[in-house]
Amino acid sequence: MSGISGKAWRQATFTVFKKEMRTELRSRVSISGIALFAFSALILLTLATATLREAQTIAFSKMLDGMTVEAIAKLRYPAWDWVSKMGLLWILLFFAAFTGLAHTFVQEEEAGTTLVLRMVSPPTAVYAGKLLFNFMLLLAVMVGVTPVYMALTGMVIGSPFVLLSVMLGGCLGLSATATIVAALAAKAKGSGTLFSALGLPLVTVFLLLLLNAASTANTIDPSALRLLRDVGGLYSFAIGVIALSGMLFPYIWEE
Amino acid sequence: MMSGEVNLKVCDLSHSFEERQVFAPVSFALKGGEAGVVSGANGAGKSTLLRIIAGLLLPKSGTAEILFGEQSLNAEERRSQIGYVAPDLNFYRELTAAENLQFFAEMQGRILTKAEMIEALTHVGLRGRGRDPLRTYSSGMRQRLKYAWVLLQKAPILLLDEPTSNLDAEGTEIVKEIIAEHRSRPETLTLIATNESDELGWGDFTVMLRQTL
Repeated sequence: MSGISGKAWRQATFTVFKKEMRTELRSRVSISGIALFAFSALILLTLATATLREAQTIAFSKMLDGMTVEAIAKLRYPAWDWVSKMGLLWILLFFAAFTGLAHTFVQEEEAGTTLVLRMVSPPTAVYAGKLLFNFMLLLAVMVGVTPVYMALTGMVIGSPFVLLSVMLGGCLGLSATATIVAALAAKAKGSGTLFSALGLPLVTVFLLLLLNAASTANTIDPSALRLLRDVGGLYSFAIGVIALSGMLFPYIWEE
Repeated sequence: MMSGEVNLKVCDLSHSFEERQVFAPVSFALKGGEAGVVSGANGAGKSTLLRIIAGLLLPKSGTAEILFGEQSLNAEERRSQIGYVAPDLNFYRELTAAENLQFFAEMQGRILTKAEMIEALTHVGLRGRGRDPLRTYSSGMRQRLKYAWVLLQKAPILLLDEPTSNLDAEGTEIVKEIIAEHRSRPETLTLIATNESDELGWGDFTVMLRQTL
């Protein structure tokens, strides 16, 4: 943010965000990629889990014989099932994000607009504007995909508020990771392989935190400590990646 | 806007990409109201020199300073004071000409009025084309649009790399007028990188860049 006021920086960030929206709505490079991937993956996952659901229902009905009401209640939310379905949902969102958001800086390099953007914009405003756009895009995908996926796979929500927090935190962490990795990959001439290689260490930690948080979202009335550890951990990761990216991005951008 | 007399001081400046030195060390100075021309064979480093002065590239040795009075500007500060036109500086093809200009203005904290926009587009011969997306523009029209932004930006320093590339005779005349108008103000300076024989006479002096062996 060096050299300009906070207000000017916010305006520059919002201007980059508006520009991203306009160019994306007209070129539809990221939107098409994400929508195509999300739609096809949603169908495949639904078909695959339908068989699992059927098998589980049969096994479940056999288990009920001779069980007490309390024991049946404990089986209402089989944790392995919920978390693995949530894991599949995040795999879907993760690849959708990396399919679409990877283009964010490569497009600028390919179109030769990096130079003009460097001339008129502070680097951190470019990062923040693109991050904001990526977050909104991923949020839109999540809002579109999650309810459909949950309905089709028969997922029951344990704690709606916690689930919402986890989904938002996941979106923030995923868009932050994808944005900085996309910037690094664009400077390395847009290599898709490099994009995956660079993203792997960040993404592994992120997915582990996400699955912990997702497991908490399936718990009815989770303890405050568990919320702080799992959901708080997810947000800490996202904020940490954003802070680190904000410091590193000017060096990547000016390279 | 910066205060004080504007000066450009280039001292023993050279640059290299990996092991290859692009041009031999060069020194020159420009003060307010002056224009300089940088010339040299293809690959001699004209565009590289302008990028270094614009703060887009760090030199391997030597310095390129832009001073307003006693104040030396860092890379980020100097960019807002520079109107830069170069063949590899592209605007957004998905946006219209007006949207591109408004985007650049907003990045610098300004909102352009319709009248300002029409005036600039008229000046460069693009009146009536402001709502067209840039992907429908010819390369000459895109070059003219860069000058529309230069006019709106009103930057005290003009760095022009191949200023008339892709332009027809009328476009070349427009560029000459813009440079002449810019030079008429004592608080501005102009640096042109070119090999065109006509354009070599547009400055007060010429700096020849020489490739090193």
